[in-house]
Amino acid sequence: MKNKNLIYYLMLFIVVCFYSCKQEGEYHSITDKIEADQKPYHGNLSSEELLAGTDLIQIIEGEHTFLIPERKGQIKSYACIECHSKPLNEMKGVDSQKAHWDIKINHAALETMDCATCHNPDNMNNLKSLTGKDIDYNLSYKLCAQCHSRQFEDWKGGAHGKKVAGWAPPRASMTCVNCHNPHNPGFETRWPVQFNTQKVKERKDDLGH
Amino acid sequence: MSESKKWFSLDLDLNKKSESSGTCGCGNTQESCGSSHKQEELSAEEFYEAAINASIGDERKKDGFEQVFDVQMDRRDAFKKLTASLLIGAGAVSSCTSVVQGADSKEKAQIDWEEQFKGNYKLMTDDEKKQTVDRLMRSYELRTGKNINMSSKNAEEDVLFGYAFNISKCQGYMNCVTACVEENNQDRKSQMQYIRIHEMKDGKGFNFNEADDNYYHEVPAEGHFYMGTQCFHCDNPPCVDVCPVQATWKEEDGLVVIDYDWCVGCRYCMAACPYDGRRFNWSKPEVPENEINKNQHYLGNRIRKKGVMEKCTFCVQRSRKGKNPACVEACPTGARIFGNLLDPDSTIRWVLENKKVFRLKEDLGTEPKFWYFMD
Repeated sequence: MKNKNLIYYLMLFIVVCFYSCKQEGEYHSITDKIEADQKPYHGNLSSEELLAGTDLIQIIEGEHTFLIPERKGQIKSYACIECHSKPLNEMKGVDSQKAHWDIKINHAALETMDCATCHNPDNMNNLKSLTGKDIDYNLSYKLCAQCHSRQFEDWKGGAHGKKVAGWAPPRASMTCVNCHNPHNPGFETRWPVQFNTQKVKERKDDLGH
Repeated sequence: MSESKKWFSLDLDLNKKSESSGTCGCGNTQESCGSSHKQEELSAEEFYEAAINASIGDERKKDGFEQVFDVQMDRRDAFKKLTASLLIGAGAVSSCTSVVQGADSKEKAQIDWEEQFKGNYKLMTDDEKKQTVDRLMRSYELRTGKNINMSSKNAEEDVLFGYAFNISKCQGYMNCVTACVEENNQDRKSQMQYIRIHEMKDGKGFNFNEADDNYYHEVPAEGHFYMGTQCFHCDNPPCVDVCPVQATWKEEDGLVVIDYDWCVGCRYCMAACPYDGRRFNWSKPEVPENEINKNQHYLGNRIRKKGVMEKCTFCVQRSRKGKNPACVEACPTGARIFGNLLDPDSTIRWVLENKKVFRLKEDLGTEPKFWYFMD
């Protein structure tokens, strides 16, 4: 008798277990689902076709490897030594041609930065780090990262800045100078590109919600 | 007794059958009311009323098939019904088989016929999906003489789309809104927009009651921040649950989509969405021919019709090709991040793991796949 009861209880236990088992593909939250189903994407989709027309260079920063647009080819007056054949103070003067007259620095206070903070008068073809080391124009983000370290961290991870093409790998991120003018990096205030006049009308007539 | 009640109760004439059977809408008894005894000469409207009464009135007693076919009718009514259905059939047949009409109009009629009786997109096989987009492309060509490209591309494997929005970066320029309207062929006249950018006062938190989503002044305005909302493609979408005809559902890659041809326009989903993510076409959507985005997807930006729901699809026509949605591409500040949640190397995953993210109305359990974060 006792044995029989035990068997009944055991059967009940198994049945309960069976029904309480989580169904496959059912998760408590989306984060659980992401964690359970994640794997590096090697699917059919790729951004390669979208990136085909852009000159890109690969960079490795910490644990992040991704592409950024090549820069030197985009600068009209590169290479700089084509004009800067003499040291800078020899080129200054009344007789010589005026150049870069349209550049006004609006980037940090004058005590903090001037032209020579980033440009090396003795080596115009490269940028200059704070300690006087050369930085390639293609890798200008290294220059920005000296001060803007927090933005740099976000950019490396992908939280700051824009992508060149799609979401699918390989990842290609725009670099600092693709959005910010290095001499005037702030964003201007401007008017929104859109105004919904219909919404105004509906709300005036109390038709909206 | 019923007068003293403080609530309204529906009187279905169940209890007082004998009293009320002789009355009609005008409140008089049968003798003095003009319309009720002239039953042989029913107008179209009255016939409709009668048919509704006949079918719905018996609903409590009868089931499915019987509700429709056990309707009491005299010979005249029966003839009316029969003629109507014959006319519908004959119209279709005549346009298909007529020797007078051209081949084009025959083909048009054939396409319309097949489109009318096609099934729910969700249940279609890949072949059927292909056939319906081919039909729609051909139909567009026959009607306008121009070609469009419509895709029926299914969800990719190992992809789950997610979105992140940086509140500290958004400046309220609204380039995203413009790009969205152009990409998704939204109705220009009603100025339908999927995205709303809310201008919120600093120090007031996320106060949607006091936020302005239709500002027009130089931005960013002093002392304000900006926050965008759109369809969040919830993992547990309430809009899908309430749809009585299953015209909206969640795809494998997490996109919540609508079959515009299956939608009956009841707008339950609009009411169920806690984020105001859905839009309704009150009029026939119209887009100038030269502004139509011809790169379309069946579930995405193809031209809708009057009386159906639509909403953001994370630009299914773009995202399923590996591109970013139009809003992401248009954003001048980089406030919008899109990607594959299942790929641990994706930038969206880096944001989720390294930034302090939150979602709107998280306590509702809708599990949006749209996160907000700050620098």
